[in-house]
Amino acid sequence: MDWECCWTKEAIALGDCPYIAEDEDELLVSRQRRVIERCCDCHLFKRDLSRFRDSNHPLAPVFSIVYGEHQRQRAQIQSLVSFLDSKTLEVRFLHELGSVLQSSVDLEEVLSVALTAITAGKGFGMNRAFLLMSDKDRDHLQGYLAIGPRNLEEASQTWNEIAYHDMDLQTLAQSFRLNKLSSERAKFHDILEQLSVPLSDTDNILIRSLTSKKPVLIEDAFHHPDVDPQFARLLGVDNFLLMPLISRNRRVGIIIADNCITHRRITEEDMRSMENFAFPVAFAIERASLYDRLQVELNRATEAGNKLKEQQELIVRMEKMALVGRITSSIAHSIRNPLMVIGGFARSMLKNTPDSDPKRDFIESIVGETRQLEGVLDEILNYSDSLFPARDFWDVNHLIESVVSDTGDALKAWNCTCRFSPSPGLPMVYIDFKQVAYCLRTIIQGDIDSAQDGGTIDISTSLTGNSVVIRIEDNNMLISQQELDTLLTPFASTQDLGNGFGLAMCRTMMERQGLPFSAVSLPAGGIMYTITLPTHKEDRS
Amino acid sequence: MNKIIVVDDEANIRLLYSEELAEEGYEVVTAGSTAEAIEKLQAGAFDLAVLDIKLKNESGIDLLQRLVKERHDMPVILCSAFSCYKDDFSAWLADGYVVKSGDLTELKQEIARVLAKKAQRTRAGL
Repeated sequence: MDWECCWTKEAIALGDCPYIAEDEDELLVSRQRRVIERCCDCHLFKRDLSRFRDSNHPLAPVFSIVYGEHQRQRAQIQSLVSFLDSKTLEVRFLHELGSVLQSSVDLEEVLSVALTAITAGKGFGMNRAFLLMSDKDRDHLQGYLAIGPRNLEEASQTWNEIAYHDMDLQTLAQSFRLNKLSSERAKFHDILEQLSVPLSDTDNILIRSLTSKKPVLIEDAFHHPDVDPQFARLLGVDNFLLMPLISRNRRVGIIIADNCITHRRITEEDMRSMENFAFPVAFAIERASLYDRLQVELNRATEAGNKLKEQQELIVRMEKMALVGRITSSIAHSIRNPLMVIGGFARSMLKNTPDSDPKRDFIESIVGETRQLEGVLDEILNYSDSLFPARDFWDVNHLIESVVSDTGDALKAWNCTCRFSPSPGLPMVYIDFKQVAYCLRTIIQGDIDSAQDGGTIDISTSLTGNSVVIRIEDNNMLISQQELDTLLTPFASTQDLGNGFGLAMCRTMMERQGLPFSAVSLPAGGIMYTITLPTHKEDRS
Repeated sequence: MNKIIVVDDEANIRLLYSEELAEEGYEVVTAGSTAEAIEKLQAGAFDLAVLDIKLKNESGIDLLQRLVKERHDMPVILCSAFSCYKDDFSAWLADGYVVKSGDLTELKQEIARVLAKKAQRTRAGL
């Protein structure tokens, strides 16, 4: 028989077989490989086979059976290889996805990864995905985030961009989070707003999928008996997939995926692939949500801890002040009586001593010194007054003007200038006028004492939120913050009893009223005092 | 002549008050304790009492409360080394109060004011 195919020849030349290319020299010289790899698909071989079947050779029917079976098994193997290839890709993708999801506790990052995975060509290759999250507080399933193009033009642009940059999943997700998360949210805002279903609505296809924990592939959505026509119109597609996200039996949310641009049918195979993806995503979302909540609680606990620490410090300071108060009261009482006797008798003697008596100067000195000591005692005992503030609404600018006016003589005596810049239209402040005035007077007096000659003091008021802030800037005193803190502690410094005690008392008075008081040493020299006063009764802490 | 009883546990203060108030024209009797004061008050009539709030282990406020009950017609002036005596509401029962000082001008003015008020009430028949 005259055969058309080259299977009869041990070796052939290039061009003898149309199925052998130039770089396949080995096939030209290996008959066995050529028959197995090429002849079965060769049309010349098939013609030879047909002629062989038509011959009356007894092996012809047997050969046809064997050949048919070979072709069938070959096709099966090719199909299996193809299936395995796709599964290998899927496993690799899921592994990559799992690695990315496991490494993140940031909710937005997790969501970006999940939605990118659904829509990326390297992932599930869907055109569009919506994420709805369970809102336990509102008892609703609510549209939260979406990704995908809204038209073909946008789709082409996005896909070209992705193809051009050839990014892996993590990079794609990061890029999405950085550049597109907000814009995608805004882009799908209208649809996300409408994607809201009560969790109790068990007839709704979304809730049913979530409750049954099973994905649902919807075909012909516009005529589907289980799909609300309004919901189908909102999505604008007749074929979509619902993938519930369940973690430890908790209904985290649901993903809706579709191919609104390419209109490629979503298959059962797609659905099964997505099922494997849903669990790690649900777990990662829940973990990130819990981490978010934990972070909030942690911040709250830290804030409470800081507040507690501040309160403890305040208590310690107040206890210190209370102890100082008790000690000074006791000392004052012990000193007051003998001082009174000395001063009283000295005055008696003075009345009966003529001007010409040389002893009169001595007696006058005793009277003067005792008067001065009594003044110091009065100042110390005034401290107890700070325990009982009487509050009302006052005009803070008027208060400052009054204090500045009171200290006018001292300012003039030391050639000091006090510049007051009142902020107009300030609301009334709720304070103990006497105590705040005392504090201002003490601060200004301290500034005058430190300035000695020719100093300046700047006072200003301003409105900050619901509070009025008084700032007093003393540009005269050169003092470190440490020394300033010492001055704010009663009797910590014995060098300057009056000023030291005065500032400490100011701070105590303000703190007992719940009014923030700070004294900060300025880098260029001087001190900035800040007192914050409430404009409402309830502003006081 | 108005008769004043001064109650203070410090002998020198009693002496100072006696001298100064006598010079102002008052008849002054002094007592160093609550018991001595009660004894002297029972022995005769007084127009005014000047009490120290802190009397060693006793309280001038307690004596004030007793005087208000038993001698409500006799005004009382409280003297104290503290400026926070106002925190004890019982102290408000007194007709006047002064912070102790070597300068007795304030005390003398307070005594004059309280006695004038008493005289006015007496004239009005209250």
